[in-house]
Amino acid sequence: MNDSALAAPPVQAAAATPPKLKVRDLNFYYDGFHALKGISMDVPEKQVTAIIGPSGCGKSTLLRIFNRIYAIYPKLEARGSIELDGENILAPGYSMNRLRSKVGMVFQKPVPFPMTIFENVAYGIRHHERLSRSEMEARVEQALRSAALWDEVKDKLKQNALGLSGGQQQRLCIARAIALRPEVLLLDEPTSALDPIATGRIEQLVEELKHEYTIVIVTHNMQQAARCSDRTAFMYLGELIEFDRTEQIFTKPGKKQTEDYITGRFG
Amino acid sequence: MQANDGVTAPGMIQEQRARRDARDDRLFGWLLKLCALLVLAALLGAAGATLWGGREAFGHFGLGFLASSAWDPGSDTYGALVPVYGTLVTSAIALLIAVPVSFGVAVYLSEVAPRWLRTPVASAIELLAGIPSIIYGMWGLFVFAPFFADHIKPWLTNYLGDKPDDGKLSWVAAHVPFVGKLFGSDSPFGASVLAAGIVLAVMIIPFISSVMREVFQTVPTRLKESAYALGSSTWEVVWDIVLPYTRSAVIGGIFLGLGRALGETMAVTFVLGNAMQLSPSLLDPGASIASTIANQFSEAAGMQKSALMALAFLLFVVTFIVLLIARLMLRRLAHKEGR
Repeated sequence: MNDSALAAPPVQAAAATPPKLKVRDLNFYYDGFHALKGISMDVPEKQVTAIIGPSGCGKSTLLRIFNRIYAIYPKLEARGSIELDGENILAPGYSMNRLRSKVGMVFQKPVPFPMTIFENVAYGIRHHERLSRSEMEARVEQALRSAALWDEVKDKLKQNALGLSGGQQQRLCIARAIALRPEVLLLDEPTSALDPIATGRIEQLVEELKHEYTIVIVTHNMQQAARCSDRTAFMYLGELIEFDRTEQIFTKPGKKQTEDYITGRFG
Repeated sequence: MQANDGVTAPGMIQEQRARRDARDDRLFGWLLKLCALLVLAALLGAAGATLWGGREAFGHFGLGFLASSAWDPGSDTYGALVPVYGTLVTSAIALLIAVPVSFGVAVYLSEVAPRWLRTPVASAIELLAGIPSIIYGMWGLFVFAPFFADHIKPWLTNYLGDKPDDGKLSWVAAHVPFVGKLFGSDSPFGASVLAAGIVLAVMIIPFISSVMREVFQTVPTRLKESAYALGSSTWEVVWDIVLPYTRSAVIGGIFLGLGRALGETMAVTFVLGNAMQLSPSLLDPGASIASTIANQFSEAAGMQKSALMALAFLLFVVTFIVLLIARLMLRRLAHKEGR
């Protein structure tokens, strides 16, 4: 494989805000298959960055490199660099614990742990910090409030989390992620398994959370990207085609492929 | 073929069809019920037959049959304490060893091992589960028991037991209660309660670990990834997520193994020593219900035969109680989880 020929020149948004994540010439291999090709982008701090593109374009793969969750599987390899606050998270010495306390992730389908609602939120905190009972209760409440779930669950914290509705479960997963007070929040198609009302609540929540967190959201729903993101990246076949301000992408895209995709001509 | 095909009105055909379907379904339902009843009848029949066979012993010794450690065909006095104790203790030792080992095997195969290694090792475990118990018994008698007598037992009696060869008590035997008694023995043979427990453990590890491995694989990937994404280590994911998620199936697997251990005959008969004595030491020979029956049935008559039947009935009861405890444990766990 010829990396230098494939590596596109850095595609960067004209960012006024400082970048939180600096991706440079990122290549990803899945058991020899070249899944991401020379990605370079700056993810701005405390803004929402959406990644869109047709199925199999590598958008989820890219997201899963930001917290190195891919590393739990064998035969996957990322080359290049991703700087988080100036440090390369792909460097072999970078602590996985530190990375995962700084970068939280919410998955496609709501996946509460098989324990009580309280324990679901407390679980991650316990891994990273020693807190007294009252401190822990305060942290859990705060996380649930931030995830706009507190009022619905405050009387049943001791009940199993599997009893919640799908939308509530997904907000619980967001609470679980922000309970660690991360700096970056990765959302991998967080509403694809939810109904329109629950989706609306999550989108509203994203809007609120961006004041405190840098958010990267992968979505197959273009309206969602247009509604709740500040910047949008369009990917196709493992390449980053275009990355710009969201209104720019959706009104005056710079590339023909982007225009074809957002107007529904393919994908 | 019916001759009036095409002549009968469509309504008639539908009606006939409906009648036939209803009759077939009824027949099918009866057949299924018969199969289920057959199992129930076999269970009740076996329990009833052993109880009936043991009526003389139960009638003659009463509740004392359970509490007495005597087993003397000469004076025709029998008690079930030694074999019941031996059955419970060998099974407990087997579980104590087999559960952690099986857990390790299952976690390694489902979470840690490289993909190419998983299938061959898993198949090997399933093959192990299929080995007849007589082979484990022979291995226990000819290979393991002598090795145990030469290498493991002397170490245990000298360093932990209260009857060391040189007469000098070790610190552990002198200071920790019960340990000295558990490992003190002057029997020179390898055949003992502990050896039988270990052989049983080897026998049930394949059962427990293959059940555990199978249920660990049912845990959704996203659940595990969510835990990893919060910073959990592999150990934490297994202990906090995989195990609670599969808890009832894991407990089911453990009790499946325990059920086998309780009733296992050949492997235990070969390495338990078959001594009708009640000793607190794990290194002394003992007897289990199944081994006692296997050893004595051919020449038993009269009261002895009835006592053996009564033992068989007790094995039913013990197994039943164990399964009952398993059910109760599961219910309490479900309650605790807030379901």
